[in-house]
Amino acid sequence: MTRLLKFAFLAAALAIVTAPAPAVAQGGRAEVEIDHTAKAVLKTDLRMGDFRALSDGKEVQETAARLREIVANDLLLSGLFRVGGNGFKPAELPFSWTIDATVEATAGGGPVTVNLNLLTWPDRQLVLTKRYRPGPDQVRTTAHHFADEVVRTAVGSEGIALTRIAFSRGRGDRRDIFVVDYDGEGLLRLTANRTLNLCPDWSPDGAETASGQVKQVIAMEGLNLGADWSPDGKELLISLSKGGDPEIYRITPEGKIIKRLTVSPAIEISPSWAPNGRELVFTSDSSGTPQLYMIDREGAGKRRVTFEGKYNDSATLSPNGEWLAYAAREDVVTQIIVMRPGGEDRRVVTDASWRNCEDPSWAPDGRHLVFASDRTGASKLYVYDVVEGGFRQLTFGNDPDITPAWSH
Amino acid sequence: MKKSSLSRLMLVVCVCALALAALGGCSKKPAVVTAPAPVEQVAEPIAEAPKPEPVEPAGPDYANLDPSQYGIEDVFFSYDQYDLGDVSMGVLSKNARILKEAGVTLMVAGHCDERGTIEYNLALGEKRAKAARDYLVSLGVPAGSLKVTSYGESRPFSNGHTENDWAQNRRAHFERP
Repeated sequence: MTRLLKFAFLAAALAIVTAPAPAVAQGGRAEVEIDHTAKAVLKTDLRMGDFRALSDGKEVQETAARLREIVANDLLLSGLFRVGGNGFKPAELPFSWTIDATVEATAGGGPVTVNLNLLTWPDRQLVLTKRYRPGPDQVRTTAHHFADEVVRTAVGSEGIALTRIAFSRGRGDRRDIFVVDYDGEGLLRLTANRTLNLCPDWSPDGAETASGQVKQVIAMEGLNLGADWSPDGKELLISLSKGGDPEIYRITPEGKIIKRLTVSPAIEISPSWAPNGRELVFTSDSSGTPQLYMIDREGAGKRRVTFEGKYNDSATLSPNGEWLAYAAREDVVTQIIVMRPGGEDRRVVTDASWRNCEDPSWAPDGRHLVFASDRTGASKLYVYDVVEGGFRQLTFGNDPDITPAWSH
Repeated sequence: MKKSSLSRLMLVVCVCALALAALGGCSKKPAVVTAPAPVEQVAEPIAEAPKPEPVEPAGPDYANLDPSQYGIEDVFFSYDQYDLGDVSMGVLSKNARILKEAGVTLMVAGHCDERGTIEYNLALGEKRAKAARDYLVSLGVPAGSLKVTSYGESRPFSNGHTENDWAQNRRAHFERP
């Protein structure tokens, strides 16, 4: 058995608590006209009202306080709202929102009962109400679930409060896969097999049974690099060097080769599906330097995407197809670039103070991007907001974190 | 129920089982090779003295030595390159002569400097290792005696961040498999 075998694994995440299904919404929908075409750059004012504990007891009090904090943070992190507290005076035009909630002990015991309400401001018309009964370990999920409901109702887009980011943590060739909630909470380790675990990717659906087991998909001779699930979840893209040098293949989730897509004596790596599943972007150094190319799913119609710079890699298209993010060498460091798939609007997101940045991955909202940077010494994960241009640090600690993948 | 309900998730993880090859590779102390004591020839005036057996010097204990201890040298590369220059080809020619005599199996491991992406560097390191391996094979070293792997940027020889450090880290390194 040669040691140059590299393995790709199918890993099943530990099951998280199921998002508590909301009880039947109560109260009539108010007659509110919502203009969903409003640009996301314009933030909607949102006032966090009272989260009242209606019964005594530590769990009720704590649940009310935690829900308010987490919902407010989720709505802030969405980038869609200007969030304020009780004293916040939202602008009254074109429209604004307020959220309030009640938490009370449930008759007969068991988990507390939570009612969360979204109302217009200042006329307080009830637009959305949700009832949950979260256990103590489900408060975060409940808050995230309601925050996404608010985003859907108030803005008309899908929220990201329930998403998570998988990544590789460790040093040298001892790295394991971890998962963290999109807000930096709930860190969970998934592998402990004392080898190099890199480049996790989430399947688009939840069809596989989760049990915390890790299943090997492919173990070809040579490099097996960078699997990327197709949008329909039926196949994967991977780069295999079993034929001599790395080429792009489509494989089944069982590891059977469907089709080889590239043929060249150069390096072909980092394949990533376009959201339509008909095309893919990848890196090839066939021109002498690594550059980005697109081809269709049969391997035809190859076209070069990047012409600027001598080193472009790790490309990924945003889920709405509007942006292409990738890593590029700028001077002596690698930086994150965002541009339109046609090459317009190219902007270098990071600067030299970020040192080396790599492996961008899009959130399902097509607005947020996670990437790794070693600006503090060890590589850590950061989230970038493409609309506003802000950053926040997602992971902390001394062990390097690399190859993040945002869940769908 | 939200589509991204997180109850059941699947991950694909690309695991590069880079194995423990090099860990074991350099740690063991090399066995000490003792040269046989020279056979003393005493001049005796007696005719028909038994002829001394010709003594062959014992060869190195290849299997237990680090390749560098019997003259195998690494080859170095320019930034983002995997082609062999004249100097590298000269080094590999010498390596080939030694390897054909030694008859050992070695691992050729490709390394890269820290610049660039992790994935690309794994591919680049493999290209470097294969370039060295292929040239040795073209010089008559049995293909089966050379394995290749890539450590990308994960095992630097020099931990600094200068061009001198980077140059040290762009190489095809020979180690016991």
